[in-house]
Amino acid sequence: MAVESKPLETVLPAAHVEEDPREHLMFDPRPREEMNRMIMEAMTTTSRRYWAWVIGLALVVLICLFGAWGNMILTGMGLAGIRRPVFWGLFIVTFVFWIGISHAGTFVSAILRVFKAEFRRPFTRASELMTTFGLAAGALFPLIHLGRVWVFYWMIPYPNARWLWPNFRSPLVWDFLAITTYLLSSTIYLYLPLVPDLAMARDRTTGWRHTLYRLLALGWRGTEAEWHRLRRAITIFAFAIIPVMFSVHTIVSWDFAVGVVAGWHSTIFGPYFIIGAILSGVAAVVSILFVLRSTMQHMDYFIRKEHFDALGKLLLVFSMAWAYFFFNDYLLTWYGGEEAARRILTLHATGPAAWVWYLMLICNVLIPWLTLWNRTIRRTPWAMFIITLLINVGMYAERYTIIPLTLGHQRMPFDWGVYTPRPTEISIVIGTFALFLLLYLLASRLIPLVPVWEVQEGQMAHTLRRVGKAEVPSVTELE
Amino acid sequence: MGANVVHLALFKETEIDHAAEAISRLHALGVSDHDISVISGIPYSERILGRPMAWTTVGRIGLAGAVVGFLVAVFLSFGTPLLYPIRVAAMPFQPIPTSIVVIFELTMLGLLISTFIGVFVETISPSFGPRGYHPKVSDGHIGILFSSPAQIEEDIHAALRALGAEIVHNVEEERLWP
Repeated sequence: MAVESKPLETVLPAAHVEEDPREHLMFDPRPREEMNRMIMEAMTTTSRRYWAWVIGLALVVLICLFGAWGNMILTGMGLAGIRRPVFWGLFIVTFVFWIGISHAGTFVSAILRVFKAEFRRPFTRASELMTTFGLAAGALFPLIHLGRVWVFYWMIPYPNARWLWPNFRSPLVWDFLAITTYLLSSTIYLYLPLVPDLAMARDRTTGWRHTLYRLLALGWRGTEAEWHRLRRAITIFAFAIIPVMFSVHTIVSWDFAVGVVAGWHSTIFGPYFIIGAILSGVAAVVSILFVLRSTMQHMDYFIRKEHFDALGKLLLVFSMAWAYFFFNDYLLTWYGGEEAARRILTLHATGPAAWVWYLMLICNVLIPWLTLWNRTIRRTPWAMFIITLLINVGMYAERYTIIPLTLGHQRMPFDWGVYTPRPTEISIVIGTFALFLLLYLLASRLIPLVPVWEVQEGQMAHTLRRVGKAEVPSVTELE
Repeated sequence: MGANVVHLALFKETEIDHAAEAISRLHALGVSDHDISVISGIPYSERILGRPMAWTTVGRIGLAGAVVGFLVAVFLSFGTPLLYPIRVAAMPFQPIPTSIVVIFELTMLGLLISTFIGVFVETISPSFGPRGYHPKVSDGHIGILFSSPAQIEEDIHAALRALGAEIVHNVEEERLWP
């Protein structure tokens, strides 16, 4: 049988449109001077709309957070809806939510830094700020939940008036130590890579800003020794803060899991909480990046569709991991057949607040799985903004399901009850959201939100190399 | 021989090869590594510029802090029950599993805080190289600070200018922001 030869061009695949590598920030360098100018303009430009937001949020913080909290301190905890059998309500739900959000900075900055994921460079600081402010908002809730906040220092490990030391076996002391450690270390981790950018700001400002940046820059000049010790410190922090991050949310999960409460006493709660925290944290980073890109000058140069795309892929993976842990927890509890736990599962899915449970599954699983596989959606910032907001709604619903909806139906049916959040609690929760946004808004005009030196370092390491007829992206190891 | 004078040679970061060559020429003209300091807006490894390895004690300070944190945690977990014993039926007096949590957190806290203190202490500790700065460094320039005897100043300037350097005098830090 004769073999018929075909002309070469007919067997070649149709030419496809390739993405221009210059669409990526790392392959689209601009002079350092110009990048500095862009960041300084973004930082020092304020509009009337900005100040309107600042004043509005400050009022919300004043009235909803401090007003309602002050009223609760004066009147008593009866203003909150927490009462037998549900003693952990919206305060603890929101506490867990904020601690979860705070995992964003460490994940994006430390883990991606350790793995040298280059796309992280322009938004590490934006996410580290989320960690610090998320923890600040979250750390308020143990104080609010205390009721008698004026004796908060009883949580600090020192002997009290009767010379008794705090019980270090208590998960509440673990919480105190873990949150303090994480808050301090994440604040320092935010500050260290900021020093060279503060020096840059010092060189370009006058007046009070110059004084502030000069003070904070610690006399930074950028000598070899300074860079060497800064990099060493950042490396130590990047590696050390990862287990601290894991420990924080694990300890938060142990607040629940160490109790012999049906629905809580689970060995998988630690990793289940961590994966949920990373899912909600990364989702919040995407939401914040969209807002920064839409509202601040020049941010569209630094924060690009490629970043939404990369974070979207991560979100899809974390959503799948969350679903895996959720199913693992659900299946074993259901299969075990313990009466109290089985009733709780039934209640979650069919009880009067079942919509919260379904909302959790829809927002955390269905929506990400239906959308984030699609590259076009991942590269559409406003779509990502909506999806990530919904993921965080889902994560809030998850915490609500785990805490008050589980506590209200324990082993003694005569002691069942339904928890309904009261206006004071809702007001305080709204107040902490406003506090987070207000702190972020103020910080956005005080510190460079993009680590310019890290971006420039990345751009110097990335080049386009011609291989045959194609220009191929290549990365050089400069360290 | 007259007193040493501090100068700064500025190169654009795109001309990093020239900066590396300038350091070699300074060596050839008799300026030692001790009298040279490189300042830049982004970190360059020592081998890129042909400089001796920088040295830091930040890691050791961090380690010492971790040990202190560990000891504090051991005291809180195991020492305080001994100082002020409260015996509760069916409860272990010095439980190890719950103490691990406290030990881990305080060890990490000691490590991280002391690492930061290490950076701070080294930053404010005296520097023995030539000191100086120019705001152009954070605008994408590499600065080579060097101190040299006044007699060979002209030779050095000529050699560096040939490589495209911008020579800046009076770069002492205290004059920058009065």
